[in-house]
Amino acid sequence: MAAVIKTVNLTKRYGTLVALSNLNLEINEGDCFGFIGPNGAGKTTTIKILATLLQPTWGEARVCDYVVGYQSRSIRPLIGYVPDYFGAYEDMVVQEYLEFFAAAYNINGSQRNKIVNDVLELTDLGYKRDSLVDGLSRGMKQRLSIARVLVHDPKVLLLDEPAGNLDPRARIEMRELLKELRRMGKTILISSHILPELADLCNTVGIIEQGELLYSGPVADIVRKARAGTVILVGVTRAPEQAAALLAQHPDVDAVAPNNGFLQVSLKNGKQDYSFIASQLIAGGFQINLIREEEVNLETAFMRLTKGMVQ
Amino acid sequence: MLGIADYLWRLIPGNPILRRVVENAGKKRRDMVIRCAYLGLLVAVVLYTLWLSGDDFGDLAALARQSTHLFQQMSYLQLGLVALLSPIFTAGAITQEKDSQTYDILLSTPLTNAQIVLGSLLSRVFFVVALLVSGIPIFAVTQIFGGVAINSIIASFLIAASTALVTGAMAMAIATFKIGTRRTIFSFYLFIIVYLVGGILLDRVDFFHLSFIDSTGAPAQTSTSWLTAFNPFLALRVIFKDKAYMPPNVADLPEAYRTWPMSWVWTSPDTFYYSFMLFLSFAMMAPSVILLRRLAQSTSSLKGWFLQKIHLSRGDRSRRPRSVWHNPIAWREAKTKASAARATFLRYGFIVLGMTGAIVLLVWHSTELAPGKFINHSYDPMKNTLYIEGSGLPEMPVASGVDVKIGDNPATNDALNGRYQVNNYTQDANGAIATIDLDEFARKLSSDDAQSWLLGLTIVEFSVILLIISNAAASTVTREKEDGTLDLLLSTPITSRYYIWGKLRGLVAFVLPLIAVPVASAFIFVAHDFFRWIAQRDSSFDWIVFPEALITMPAMLIIACAFAAILGMQMSLRCRTTVRAVMSSVGIVVGACAAMGWCGYEILDSSSMSGAIAVAIGAFSPFTLLTILIDPRQYAGAAFQQGQSYDPATARIVTFVFCVIALGVYSMGIWSMYKSMVKNFDMTIRKQSR
Repeated sequence: MAAVIKTVNLTKRYGTLVALSNLNLEINEGDCFGFIGPNGAGKTTTIKILATLLQPTWGEARVCDYVVGYQSRSIRPLIGYVPDYFGAYEDMVVQEYLEFFAAAYNINGSQRNKIVNDVLELTDLGYKRDSLVDGLSRGMKQRLSIARVLVHDPKVLLLDEPAGNLDPRARIEMRELLKELRRMGKTILISSHILPELADLCNTVGIIEQGELLYSGPVADIVRKARAGTVILVGVTRAPEQAAALLAQHPDVDAVAPNNGFLQVSLKNGKQDYSFIASQLIAGGFQINLIREEEVNLETAFMRLTKGMVQ
Repeated sequence: MLGIADYLWRLIPGNPILRRVVENAGKKRRDMVIRCAYLGLLVAVVLYTLWLSGDDFGDLAALARQSTHLFQQMSYLQLGLVALLSPIFTAGAITQEKDSQTYDILLSTPLTNAQIVLGSLLSRVFFVVALLVSGIPIFAVTQIFGGVAINSIIASFLIAASTALVTGAMAMAIATFKIGTRRTIFSFYLFIIVYLVGGILLDRVDFFHLSFIDSTGAPAQTSTSWLTAFNPFLALRVIFKDKAYMPPNVADLPEAYRTWPMSWVWTSPDTFYYSFMLFLSFAMMAPSVILLRRLAQSTSSLKGWFLQKIHLSRGDRSRRPRSVWHNPIAWREAKTKASAARATFLRYGFIVLGMTGAIVLLVWHSTELAPGKFINHSYDPMKNTLYIEGSGLPEMPVASGVDVKIGDNPATNDALNGRYQVNNYTQDANGAIATIDLDEFARKLSSDDAQSWLLGLTIVEFSVILLIISNAAASTVTREKEDGTLDLLLSTPITSRYYIWGKLRGLVAFVLPLIAVPVASAFIFVAHDFFRWIAQRDSSFDWIVFPEALITMPAMLIIACAFAAILGMQMSLRCRTTVRAVMSSVGIVVGACAAMGWCGYEILDSSSMSGAIAVAIGAFSPFTLLTILIDPRQYAGAAFQQGQSYDPATARIVTFVFCVIALGVYSMGIWSMYKSMVKNFDMTIRKQSR
C-alpha cells in the first residue's frame, strides 16, 4: 500500500531547541494513525509541517508524494488541517463559515451550496446553519472544524487534539464521526492524549518524545513491545507476604511485589509459562482467589515507553 | 479607628495589585526607554528654547521672560505627552477581562471591589504619574531664572495628572461595564484625540463664547469659552496669563453667570478643570466600585442591551447567512467587519452626520437674505428704464453711459436685466441712473464661508476615514494571528498574493461608503452651482467646488485609503500584537499626513514659488488637493486669484494633470508595497510562527 505521508529524517529547530529530531514516519493510505506523546514532544510541530505551515529545518516530509516546502501548493488541496484550537471569525454564521472556506478552496456556485449542505448533514450540524459560530458550544465547534476540513473532500486529515476539552458525550460523537471518515477511506493523522479512544479508533500509532519517534506501528505490536516480560497478578486469601516469599524462590521468577492487595509476579526474560504458580501455592497451603496475566494496554505501553520528559 | 487605618492602608499603599506594579516599575526595558525619551524631549525643549533666545538675557526682566516662555513650551509638551501616553497605558484595562485570566481569579479573592478597581486604575496611571514626577527637576530650571510662579507649575502638573487620571477612570469604567472589546481601544484613542483637538478648534467658534458689556459700556466677548474649563490644553493656556486668553472677571459676566458654579467655570477655568476631572474620575469609579462583582456575574453587556434598544442588534445567536464572494478574504474584510452592530452604528452615524452637515451648508448657502434694494429682471431695454425694488421710487431712466459694476468687476447693461442686490446707485442731473453697484444676493452662508466650512467638513471626514482604514488594516492580520484563523487559511490553497489582494480589496470596499460621503457632499454643491452656472453662463463663474473634483476627489481619496491600507497591512504583518500594529500604522499615517499637509500648505502659501508649480506640488497631497478643489482662493491665492500671472483655468488644468500623475505615483507605490508583501509574506509569517 502506498505511503500517503512520509517523513525522512525530519528535523525542526527553534533556535537551539530541537523540536523534532530525525523523525521517520510512514502512514499508508486509509490508515488512521494515532500520534501520541507528552506535551512539548513535537506532535503539533510535525502536524504543522505536514499542513505546510512550517518549513522543516532539514529532512523531508511528503504528503501524497508531494514534498512539503517545494510543492506545498499541490499539498494544500489534499489535506484538511484541524488545529488544537478553534479559529473563529467574528460575526459569521455556520453556513457562512463553511462557504468561506469552500471559497478558499475555489469551490463556488451551486456546487458550493450542495457540498456545504452535505457536510452539515454528515456532521449533524444542519440545524445550526444559521447560528453564529461564536455562540456554539465547544463540542459543536469541534464538529464544525471537522465539517470545515471536509468541504473540499481531502485525502488526508491532520487532526491536532480534536477531542481536547470535550465532554464525554461530545468525545464519543467525535469518535464516531472520525470512524465514519475512516470508513470513507480518508487517511487520518490524529494526535490525542485520550489513549483508550486512540486505541479504539486507530490501526497504527506513533509514540514521540523529545522530538524523537520512539515507536511507530500497529497498536497490537506496541502493546507486545511494551510488555517487557510476563507479569502475573496473583491473589491469595491469607498471608500474602509468605506467599510472596515462596514464589520468589522459584527459579523462573524475577521479582514479586505487592500491588493493591495482590501479588505482582514478574517472570524472568523469556519465561512465559506461569502454570507453576498455582501448583506451588497450593502445595504451600495457600488458597488462590485470582491468577491472571496483567493486561498491557496503550496507556501502559505509553507509560513504559516514554520517560515523561518534555523539552 | 485602627480598622479605618487598616482599610485605608490596604486600599492603596498595601494594595497588592498596585504594589506588584510599583515594585516592578523601572525593571521593564520598554518603560525605561519611554522615560528616557520623555525626559530627553523635555531637556531638548529647554536647550532649544535657550538656544533660540540667544543673548536675550541682558537683564532680570529678559531672564524672567525667557523663563516664562520656557515654562509654556515645557508645559505644552508635558501635557501633549501625557495626553498621548495616558490612553496607551490605560486602554489595556478595556480588554483586561478578555485578555487576562487573572481578572476572575482576583474577583474570587477576599480583595474588596474598591481594592480591585483602585488597584487596577492606579497601577495603570502610575507610570504616567511617575513620568510627571521625573520631570519636576527640569521644570525647576525655570525657578532659577524667575518669572514663573510656583503655583503655575503646580497647576500645570495638576492639569496633566488629572487628565491622566480621568483617562484611566474612563478605561476602567468601560471595562467594568463590559462595553469594551479590542476594537474599543481604537475608538477610545479616537475619542480622546477628537475631544482634545475638537475642543481646541471649537474654542475659536463665537458660539461658545459669552457676550457681555464691558466696563466702557461697549459690547464684548469673552476670550475664553465654555470649552476652556473642560479641555486641558485650553485650561493650561489660562495659567500662562496670556492677555489674548484671559478669563473674565465676575463683574464682567452676565448676571446669570455670577453665581457658583458658573462663576467658577468662567473666572477660573484652570482650577475648575482639574477639580472637575478629579470629581469626574471618582464619579466614574464609584459605580465600578459598587457594581464590580455584580456586573462581572451578569451574562449580558450594557452595549448589547443598548444596541438591542436601538434595534441594531436583536441579541440573537443566529441570523440568515449571507452569500460569500468568490474571494472570501475580500468578502470577510468588506462584509463581516461592516455588519457588526457597532460598525453599522458608526458607519450610518458617519454617513448621516456627514451628509446632514453638507446639506445644511448647502441650504444655508442657497438661502438668500432679503436685500434692502434689488433688481429682478426689471430693466426695460425698449424704454431704457430700470425699476429698483425697495427704493421707493418708480421706474427710473438709465443714462446712456451708465457705469455698471458687479462686485468689483465692471459689467455691461445686460447685467441690469439680471437679479442682483443693489449696493449703491447715483443719478445724474436728469434723474437717470448714472452708476450702479450690483452684487449677488447676500446669502445666509457666503460663498467664502461655504467653501471654508465644506473644506473643514471634508478634511475631518477624510481624516476619520484614514484613521478607520489604518486601524482596520493594522488589525487585519494580527487579529487572525491572535485568534488562530491565519493558520487555517494558510493551510488552504489560498496564496499570499490572493490573500493580500483580497485583504486590500476588502478594506477599500469597506471604506467606500464612507468615501462616498465627502464626494457626495462635493457633488451636491457642484450640482447646485451647475444650475446657477447654466443660468448665468459666466466664464468667470465662482464654483464652490470645481466640477472636476467629481473625478479627481474620489480617485485621490480611494488611492490614499488604499495606500493607508497597504501600509497598515505591512505593520499588521510585521507586528505580533494588534495594539502594536495599530499604534505603529496610525502613527505613521498621522505623521505622514501632518508632514504632507504642512509641506503642502507651506508650498501653496509660498510667495517665492510660482502659482502653477505650487498647485502642481500641492496636487500630490490629498489634503492640499481637497483644499485646491474646494477653497483655492483662500489657500492657493497665488494661482487662483483673478488678475494674477496664472489664470484660474490654467491652475485647474495643472491641478488636474498633476493629480493624475500623483495617482499614478501612489498606485506605483501601492503596487510595489503589495509585491514586496507578497514576496516576503511566507518568510515573515514563518519567522513569527512558534
